[in-house]
Amino acid sequence: MLKFVKRVLVFIIAFGIIIAIQSRDDIYASEVNTDNETIMEAIEELRFYSSYNYQTLTEDKLSQLIVDFYLPVRYGDVLIDWQLESEYVELGTETETIEINSITGYVEVEVLKVTILEVPSVFKGDQVFELLASFEYLDESVEYSYFGTLVPQISADFLGGATYTLIRYFSLFVEGALLTIGISLVGTVIGFVLALFIVTGKTLNIKDFESKASKITKQVIKKVSSLYVIIFRGTPMIVQASFFWFGLGLFGNALLCGLFVVSLNTAAYIAEIIRGGIQSVDSGQTEASKSLGMTGSQTMRYIIFPQAIKNSLPAIGNEFVINIKDTAVLSVIGIFELFNQTRKIAGMHYRQLEAYLIVALIYLFLTYTVSSILRQVEKRLDMPLKELPSSN
Amino acid sequence: MENILQINNLHKYFGELEVLKGIDLSVSKGEIISVIGSSGSGKSTLLRCINFLETPNNGEIIFKGKNYVTNQNDLQELRKRISMVFQSFNLFNNLSVINNLCLTPVKVLKKEKKETFVKALEVLDLVGMKDFAYKSTKLLSGGQKQRVAIARSLMMDPEIILFDEPTSALDPEMVGEVLDVMKDLAKTGITMLIVTHEMQFAKEISNRVIFMHEGIVHESGLPSEILNNPKEERTKLFLKRFL
Ligand SMILES: Nc1ncnc2c1ncn2[C@@H]1O[C@H](COP(=O)(O)OP(=O)(O)O)[C@@H](O)[C@H]1O
Ligand SMILES: [Mg+2]
Repeated sequence: MLKFVKRVLVFIIAFGIIIAIQSRDDIYASEVNTDNETIMEAIEELRFYSSYNYQTLTEDKLSQLIVDFYLPVRYGDVLIDWQLESEYVELGTETETIEINSITGYVEVEVLKVTILEVPSVFKGDQVFELLASFEYLDESVEYSYFGTLVPQISADFLGGATYTLIRYFSLFVEGALLTIGISLVGTVIGFVLALFIVTGKTLNIKDFESKASKITKQVIKKVSSLYVIIFRGTPMIVQASFFWFGLGLFGNALLCGLFVVSLNTAAYIAEIIRGGIQSVDSGQTEASKSLGMTGSQTMRYIIFPQAIKNSLPAIGNEFVINIKDTAVLSVIGIFELFNQTRKIAGMHYRQLEAYLIVALIYLFLTYTVSSILRQVEKRLDMPLKELPSSN
Repeated sequence: MENILQINNLHKYFGELEVLKGIDLSVSKGEIISVIGSSGSGKSTLLRCINFLETPNNGEIIFKGKNYVTNQNDLQELRKRISMVFQSFNLFNNLSVINNLCLTPVKVLKKEKKETFVKALEVLDLVGMKDFAYKSTKLLSGGQKQRVAIARSLMMDPEIILFDEPTSALDPEMVGEVLDVMKDLAKTGITMLIVTHEMQFAKEISNRVIFMHEGIVHESGLPSEILNNPKEERTKLFLKRFL
């Protein structure tokens, strides 16, 4: 019982801390009351305004300190002794009385002012300090430790804002970029593999002397493959993603579902690329292969396909680059790839211009780098075969 | 001589256009036949029909007693034994020279890899291309490509080789090297059907010359007869261009 009361009291003190954020007129607290019955109510009603919304004061609210705030000196009859050691904040020594706008009207509260001496720079990052509250309650001495976090403040000008956004949220940008690259790469690879099946289906050769069953099966496969390509190239990926995630809840996991959509979408495009690659292999080689007794599928496998793939590689690489940009639509199904991370970051301080400019530069960096790497790889592949020692 | 290939009343249409208007031809084993005639007379089409790169509309193509026009399910069997050398070489660009030679014996004839490889080197030696075994086909000149193409068809141990203007796409200085290879080949007793515009070569190498005109065999006979003393006006007219 005693333990419970103690805990409640700690809560009360914690909630009793009044933080004035931006405007002191926003301060809103319930009337102080030591009556046990109303303690819970007080906890529930003790609220304050942050700059954005109206919330109950809890420990983590102290993690976004950017302006001076006040600590209650007493709660009913109980006197609270506060201690604070920090180079960034200073605890006042003189108590003062401030007016708080509560539901029952304005009340006067005795407080100690905590002044922020220095806002940490964005390069130093967040600064945590400890607040120690000690008091006597029912002949027991109680100590409660409370942590506050001072966050660097975003400056009003563009350059300051951009620097702040980039440095403070660097890890979020990196996380997003890695996810974007990951989804794009895996999606392109899976898409490529799927495309091999699709293009095989699309280019099936139906011969005059085949059995009826085999002809019909081949017809169906051809139609299905064509339809697949038409559907996936003919609808926006954002619609596909929404359909599979919100509509079907595929895999019960947005990330897997997103990867699935990117793979299927890419497969349709790469299938068309490879089909073009197949058509670009001169028919003479097919004829030579056939005249040497190779079957259609052997010709495809050993002669046409390898060349078609090689010819298609630049375009397939380009699909990867396109995916880096297009996976941004996966934000719609709640995947925190680069674009969605940026939206989150932009929302934190309403610094849209800076955040979106930064992400544009990151995308540009990614696509440019990947394109350059792919070009290098292409050059390698295009070099004439190394001269091997001849056998004599 | 044993008859190896018999063509009876062969017709081929491209849409409305009748390109082969009833070809009759019988080829004996070991015979070397040159096919001459002006462009568009149907020489290539005839050769392409023989290994079914074009499907004949009518007639018979009987190879070793079996009419393949009515047995097109067994085309593979025919193609294994009749190879073709094309005007444009048609080497497999994704494969090195040696692999151009080894692919089909291994995949089609199910030959053992090592043995095929050894044989490929021998055949390349035969056409004077052994030093290029591991090169990419892209690095070869036209004459070299055609010699490799001939080597590739030899790898199948064919009973007949069809040549469709094998030197027409070559620079003049490379024609000789290819013709020399073919002359060597002729001595081995293999059956050859050669579409060519090299009259001197045809005279030297052939047992028989066929003159085609507008889809029919207009005149046929010994090289000396056809090339020196043709009976038909058309043949004379055609040969005038080569004087
Ligand atoms: N695939 C084809 N489609 C339509 N017409 C063709 C085709 N191949 C050849 N021809 C036509 O058939 C005729 C004979 O062609 P071809 O056999 O190549 O003659 P040659 O080899 O004697 O020059 C020509 O008129 C040519 O235009
Ligand atoms: Mg021709």
